[in-house]
Amino acid sequence: MTLYEKIKTLHPEITDHDFITVITLQNDSDGKGDYIAKWEHPTLARPTQEQLA
Amino acid sequence: MASIISAGTTSGTALNMSGDTSGNLAFQTQAGANTITVPNVTGTAMVSGNMPAFSATMSNQLNVSQSTWTKIPFDTKDFDTATCFNTSTYRFTPNVAGYYQVNGFMNFNNNSGNPVQTGFISVYKNGSAWKSVFIGLQYNGSSSSTVTYTGSPTMSSLVYLNGSTDYIELYGNLTSSGQAAFYNGNSFFQAYMVRSA
Repeated sequence: MTLYEKIKTLHPEITDHDFITVITLQNDSDGKGDYIAKWEHPTLARPTQEQLA
Repeated sequence: MASIISAGTTSGTALNMSGDTSGNLAFQTQAGANTITVPNVTGTAMVSGNMPAFSATMSNQLNVSQSTWTKIPFDTKDFDTATCFNTSTYRFTPNVAGYYQVNGFMNFNNNSGNPVQTGFISVYKNGSAWKSVFIGLQYNGSSSSTVTYTGSPTMSSLVYLNGSTDYIELYGNLTSSGQAAFYNGNSFFQAYMVRSA
Protein backbone atom coordinates (compact mmCIF):
# COMPACT_ATOMS: atom_id res chain seq x y z
CA MET A 1 0.00 0.00 0.00
CA THR A 2 1.41 3.38 -0.96
CA LEU A 3 1.58 6.39 1.35
CA TYR A 4 -1.23 7.98 -0.65
CA GLU A 5 -3.40 4.90 -0.14
CA LYS A 6 -2.63 4.77 3.59
CA ILE A 7 -3.66 8.40 4.04
CA LYS A 8 -6.82 7.87 2.02
CA THR A 9 -7.64 4.90 4.24
CA LEU A 10 -7.03 6.91 7.42
CA HIS A 11 -8.94 9.94 6.16
CA PRO A 12 -11.39 8.97 3.40
CA GLU A 13 -12.73 12.50 3.36
CA ILE A 14 -9.48 13.85 1.93
CA THR A 15 -9.94 14.67 -1.72
CA ASP A 16 -7.48 14.44 -4.58
CA HIS A 17 -7.69 18.20 -4.78
CA ASP A 18 -6.34 18.35 -1.23
CA PHE A 19 -3.24 16.51 -2.47
CA ILE A 20 -2.67 19.34 -4.91
CA THR A 21 -3.32 22.23 -2.57
CA VAL A 22 -2.78 21.52 1.15
CA ILE A 23 -0.98 18.17 1.22
CA THR A 24 2.22 17.37 -0.65
CA LEU A 25 3.52 13.84 -0.92
CA GLN A 26 6.98 13.54 -2.39
CA ASN A 27 9.53 10.99 -3.50
CA ASP A 28 13.07 12.16 -4.29
CA SER A 29 14.05 8.95 -6.11
CA ASP A 30 16.82 8.41 -3.57
CA GLY A 31 15.60 5.03 -2.32
CA LYS A 32 13.92 6.46 0.78
CA GLY A 33 10.41 6.21 -0.60
CA ASP A 34 7.35 8.44 -0.38
CA TYR A 35 7.04 10.96 2.44
CA ILE A 36 4.85 13.86 3.53
CA ALA A 37 6.60 17.05 2.43
CA LYS A 38 3.76 19.37 3.40
CA TRP A 39 0.64 18.98 5.52
CA GLU A 40 -1.50 22.10 5.80
CA HIS A 41 -4.95 20.54 5.94
CA PRO A 42 -7.23 22.97 7.80
CA THR A 43 -9.08 20.36 9.90
CA LEU A 44 -7.25 17.02 9.83
CA ALA A 45 -4.09 16.37 11.81
CA ARG A 46 -0.99 15.05 10.13
CA PRO A 47 -0.88 11.26 10.51
CA THR A 48 1.71 9.88 12.89
CA GLN A 49 4.39 7.40 11.90
CA GLU A 50 2.54 4.78 13.94
CA GLN A 51 -0.63 5.35 11.96
CA LEU A 52 1.26 5.06 8.70
CA ALA A 53 3.30 2.01 9.68
CA MET B 1 48.57 40.47 -42.84
CA ALA B 2 46.93 40.01 -39.49
CA SER B 3 48.17 41.68 -36.34
CA ILE B 4 48.22 40.06 -32.93
CA ILE B 5 47.97 41.91 -29.63
CA SER B 6 48.84 39.83 -26.58
CA ALA B 7 48.48 40.42 -22.87
CA GLY B 8 51.63 40.89 -20.90
CA THR B 9 53.13 37.65 -19.72
CA THR B 10 54.78 39.07 -16.63
CA SER B 11 52.19 41.50 -15.27
CA GLY B 12 49.68 38.84 -14.39
CA THR B 13 46.85 40.89 -15.83
CA ALA B 14 44.62 40.28 -18.76
CA LEU B 15 44.61 42.45 -21.83
CA ASN B 16 42.41 45.44 -21.07
CA MET B 17 40.69 47.34 -23.86
CA SER B 18 38.50 50.40 -23.43
CA GLY B 19 35.57 51.51 -25.50
CA ASP B 20 34.66 54.97 -26.77
CA THR B 21 32.70 57.58 -24.80
CA SER B 22 29.52 55.53 -25.20
CA GLY B 23 31.19 52.63 -23.48
CA ASN B 24 30.86 50.35 -26.45
CA LEU B 25 33.84 48.42 -27.73
CA ALA B 26 33.89 47.53 -31.40
CA PHE B 27 35.85 45.01 -33.39
CA GLN B 28 36.07 45.21 -37.14
CA THR B 29 37.07 42.24 -39.20
CA GLN B 30 37.42 44.57 -42.17
CA ALA B 31 38.11 48.28 -42.12
CA GLY B 32 34.78 49.99 -41.63
CA ALA B 33 32.75 46.82 -42.04
CA ASN B 34 31.74 43.57 -40.33
CA THR B 35 31.71 45.20 -36.94
CA ILE B 36 31.19 43.22 -33.76
CA THR B 37 30.21 45.50 -30.87
CA VAL B 38 30.56 44.59 -27.22
CA PRO B 39 27.84 46.62 -25.49
CA ASN B 40 28.32 48.84 -22.49
CA VAL B 41 26.96 46.45 -19.90
CA THR B 42 28.03 45.08 -16.58
CA GLY B 43 28.58 41.37 -16.39
CA THR B 44 30.37 38.58 -18.11
CA ALA B 45 30.30 38.44 -21.87
CA MET B 46 29.36 34.93 -22.88
CA VAL B 47 30.71 33.27 -25.95
CA SER B 48 29.70 30.03 -27.52
CA GLY B 49 31.54 27.36 -25.63
CA ASN B 50 31.16 28.52 -22.06
CA MET B 51 27.39 28.56 -21.78
CA PRO B 52 26.35 25.35 -19.99
CA ALA B 53 23.88 23.05 -21.71
CA PHE B 54 22.82 19.48 -21.13
CA SER B 55 20.35 16.88 -22.28
CA ALA B 56 19.45 13.72 -20.36
CA THR B 57 17.10 10.77 -20.65
CA MET B 58 15.85 7.87 -18.52
CA SER B 59 17.19 4.37 -18.98
CA ASN B 60 14.44 2.58 -17.05
CA GLN B 61 10.75 2.83 -16.35
CA LEU B 62 9.82 4.04 -12.86
CA ASN B 63 6.59 2.98 -11.20
CA VAL B 64 5.20 5.81 -9.08
CA SER B 65 2.52 6.37 -6.48
CA GLN B 66 -0.60 8.34 -7.27
CA SER B 67 -0.64 12.02 -6.26
CA THR B 68 3.00 11.96 -5.20
CA TRP B 69 5.58 14.41 -6.53
CA THR B 70 8.35 12.13 -7.75
CA LYS B 71 11.73 13.17 -9.06
CA ILE B 72 12.18 11.81 -12.55
CA PRO B 73 15.42 9.80 -12.64
CA PHE B 74 17.26 11.03 -15.71
CA ASP B 75 20.34 8.85 -15.50
CA THR B 76 21.72 8.99 -19.02
CA LYS B 77 23.33 12.00 -20.68
CA ASP B 78 22.99 12.88 -24.33
CA PHE B 79 25.49 15.67 -23.73
CA ASP B 80 26.65 17.87 -20.87
CA THR B 81 28.91 20.66 -22.09
CA ALA B 82 30.13 21.84 -18.67
CA THR B 83 29.74 18.64 -16.65
CA CYS B 84 26.99 20.19 -14.54
CA PHE B 85 24.36 17.43 -14.65
CA ASN B 86 24.57 14.67 -12.06
CA THR B 87 23.15 11.32 -13.17
CA SER B 88 23.00 10.07 -9.56
CA THR B 89 21.03 12.94 -8.04
CA TYR B 90 19.40 13.94 -11.36
CA ARG B 91 20.32 17.55 -10.69
CA PHE B 92 21.60 20.29 -12.96
CA THR B 93 23.88 22.68 -11.07
CA PRO B 94 25.40 25.04 -13.62
CA ASN B 95 28.72 26.72 -12.92
CA VAL B 96 27.87 30.01 -14.65
CA ALA B 97 25.31 32.44 -13.20
CA GLY B 98 22.51 33.35 -15.54
CA TYR B 99 19.10 32.62 -16.95
CA TYR B 100 18.41 29.13 -18.22
CA GLN B 101 15.77 27.75 -20.52
CA VAL B 102 14.46 24.42 -19.20
CA ASN B 103 12.64 21.84 -21.29
CA GLY B 104 11.17 18.55 -20.15
CA PHE B 105 8.97 15.80 -21.44
CA MET B 106 7.53 12.98 -19.37
CA ASN B 107 6.15 9.91 -21.07
CA PHE B 108 3.55 8.58 -18.69
CA ASN B 109 0.95 5.91 -18.99
CA ASN B 110 -1.51 4.14 -16.81
CA ASN B 111 -1.18 0.40 -16.63
CA SER B 112 -4.75 -0.03 -15.48
CA GLY B 113 -6.11 1.27 -18.73
CA ASN B 114 -7.76 4.33 -17.24
CA PRO B 115 -8.68 6.29 -20.35
CA VAL B 116 -7.96 9.67 -18.82
CA GLN B 117 -4.60 10.43 -17.27
CA THR B 118 -3.83 13.65 -15.51
CA GLY B 119 -0.96 15.08 -13.60
CA PHE B 120 1.70 17.72 -13.38
CA ILE B 121 5.27 18.30 -14.40
CA SER B 122 7.28 20.72 -12.34
CA VAL B 123 10.72 22.25 -12.43
CA TYR B 124 12.07 22.20 -8.90
CA LYS B 125 14.64 24.84 -7.96
CA ASN B 126 16.65 24.10 -4.82
CA GLY B 127 14.12 21.53 -3.67
CA SER B 128 10.93 23.52 -4.17
CA ALA B 129 8.54 23.77 -7.09
CA TRP B 130 9.51 26.66 -9.35
CA LYS B 131 7.04 26.32 -12.23
CA SER B 132 4.44 23.62 -12.83
CA VAL B 133 2.27 22.69 -15.75
CA PHE B 134 -0.87 20.58 -15.74
CA ILE B 135 -0.93 17.66 -18.12
CA GLY B 136 -3.91 15.72 -19.34
CA LEU B 137 -3.93 12.81 -21.73
CA GLN B 138 -6.74 10.86 -23.22
CA TYR B 139 -6.25 7.81 -25.33
CA ASN B 140 -8.42 5.59 -27.45
CA GLY B 141 -7.87 1.90 -27.97
CA SER B 142 -7.34 -1.05 -25.70
CA SER B 143 -3.77 -1.98 -26.53
CA SER B 144 -0.56 -0.07 -26.76
CA SER B 145 -0.48 -0.51 -30.51
CA THR B 146 -3.70 1.41 -30.94
CA VAL B 147 -3.17 4.12 -28.37
CA THR B 148 -3.57 7.64 -29.65
CA TYR B 149 -2.86 10.46 -27.27
CA THR B 150 -4.20 13.94 -27.04
CA GLY B 151 -2.34 16.34 -24.86
CA SER B 152 1.32 17.05 -24.42
CA PRO B 153 3.14 16.31 -21.16
CA THR B 154 5.80 18.92 -21.74
CA MET B 155 7.43 21.53 -19.56
CA SER B 156 9.10 24.76 -20.63
CA SER B 157 10.32 27.43 -18.26
CA LEU B 158 12.95 30.07 -17.69
CA VAL B 159 14.84 30.08 -14.41
CA TYR B 160 17.68 32.06 -12.85
CA LEU B 161 20.53 30.02 -11.36
CA ASN B 162 23.42 31.58 -9.44
CA GLY B 163 26.18 29.47 -10.95
CA SER B 164 27.30 27.88 -7.69
CA THR B 165 24.65 26.45 -5.36
CA ASP B 166 21.40 26.72 -7.29
CA TYR B 167 20.16 23.53 -8.92
CA ILE B 168 17.11 22.29 -10.77
CA GLU B 169 15.36 18.95 -11.04
CA LEU B 170 12.28 17.71 -12.85
CA TYR B 171 9.38 16.20 -10.87
CA GLY B 172 6.21 14.53 -12.06
CA ASN B 173 2.93 13.93 -10.26
CA LEU B 174 0.28 11.61 -11.67
CA THR B 175 -3.08 12.43 -10.16
CA SER B 176 -5.28 9.95 -12.01
CA SER B 177 -6.12 6.69 -10.30
CA GLY B 178 -4.58 3.33 -11.06
CA GLN B 179 -1.06 1.98 -11.24
CA ALA B 180 1.08 4.45 -13.09
CA ALA B 181 4.64 4.91 -14.25
CA PHE B 182 7.12 7.27 -15.83
CA TYR B 183 8.26 5.61 -19.02
CA ASN B 184 11.78 6.01 -20.30
CA GLY B 185 10.82 6.10 -23.96
CA ASN B 186 11.04 9.70 -25.22
CA SER B 187 11.25 11.27 -21.76
CA PHE B 188 13.92 13.94 -21.54
CA PHE B 189 15.26 16.81 -19.44
CA GLN B 190 17.25 19.66 -20.97
CA ALA B 191 18.49 23.11 -20.03
CA TYR B 192 20.73 25.69 -21.58
CA MET B 193 21.89 29.17 -20.74
CA VAL B 194 20.26 32.00 -22.61
CA ARG B 195 21.66 35.05 -20.79
CA SER B 196 24.36 35.70 -18.24
CA ALA B 197 23.53 37.31 -14.93
